[in-house]
Amino acid sequence: MKFHIQHQETYSRGEVLLRTFFGFFYIMLPHAFVLMFVGMWASILSLIAFFSVLFTGRYPQSFFEFQVGLIRWSTRLNARTLNLCDGYPAFGINATDDLIDVQVDYPESLSRGTLLLRVFFGAFYVGIPHGFLLLFRYIGVMFLLALSFWVILFTGKLPASWHSFITGTLRWAFRVNLYMSFMTDTYPPFTGKEIE
Amino acid sequence: MSTELYDIPQPDEIDIREKEDAMGAYFMMFAAMAVGLPLPVVNLIAAIIYYYLNRSKSRFVHFHSLQSLLSQIPTTLLNWGIVYIAVRIFVYDDDFTDIHKGYILMTAVANVIYFIFSIIGAMKARKGKFYYFLFFGEISYKYVFTKREDNREAFVNKPPKM
Repeated sequence: MKFHIQHQETYSRGEVLLRTFFGFFYIMLPHAFVLMFVGMWASILSLIAFFSVLFTGRYPQSFFEFQVGLIRWSTRLNARTLNLCDGYPAFGINATDDLIDVQVDYPESLSRGTLLLRVFFGAFYVGIPHGFLLLFRYIGVMFLLALSFWVILFTGKLPASWHSFITGTLRWAFRVNLYMSFMTDTYPPFTGKEIE
Repeated sequence: MSTELYDIPQPDEIDIREKEDAMGAYFMMFAAMAVGLPLPVVNLIAAIIYYYLNRSKSRFVHFHSLQSLLSQIPTTLLNWGIVYIAVRIFVYDDDFTDIHKGYILMTAVANVIYFIFSIIGAMKARKGKFYYFLFFGEISYKYVFTKREDNREAFVNKPPKM
């Protein structure tokens, strides 16, 4: 799997100002409205995928591609709201983005035992440890987000280490999300770094 | 007048992806559970969306999606009857009579039958097999496999009227 958000050499001051003050209206609201319905559909497909994995050991491929498309879409949206890249996020499951690369390998088979383990005990062995650590990372992300507004406004640049930390946090949450939504059997690592 | 029909694909001619998409159609009965809205109409809406998203994939997927959609209609209507009874009893203080009990029991049985047949349909679809529900199976088969002539005239762009 791959989760990459490109760090830009320079960021547009105008776009940062626009996103900060009006982003809620022109980015968040239209996307959230559509994503609400797409998300409902995704949750229906997730439930069906659960039964499919339980009975056949396979995640239906078209459902899987839909879920990955939805993850890409929400990543495009998050990347803009967190000032990780400029530009307006594209609508749609099949839309592409030059600055963002999210890929998930399709698993030919999934473990039924791990599936049940996740459903009944996932909150304990995944939710608690990862949730606890991610909470602190998200606090750090919010702090950096507030700072990055001023830094970009004055210098037109976002420090690479900040970009890496925020992207890493999204990557970490992405892996937890994949595991908990039965899209992989690999337990999410306790890191936001890219792993080959 | 005889109607021309397309050939039925055999299990080994059907791609695993098509089999899974066809199987998914029957699981739309769980849609209400997934979105947390215990309204009988949610399953039907999900089945309609699924049908329109998948009907162009292949005739096999089209058939199973349509059969699943059509077979949901009777139970959905019966379940709405229960919602109506519940509203009458809890909002308008109607009495809970024997006819209500009979109706609820009948609906429960219909739901169980629908559930069992849907699971069987899903399993058959997963194996690339056709499984015909009573009444709906034939309708779906005829609708999907009948050859139709395309009588639509090609659209011609014209300049504005001046």
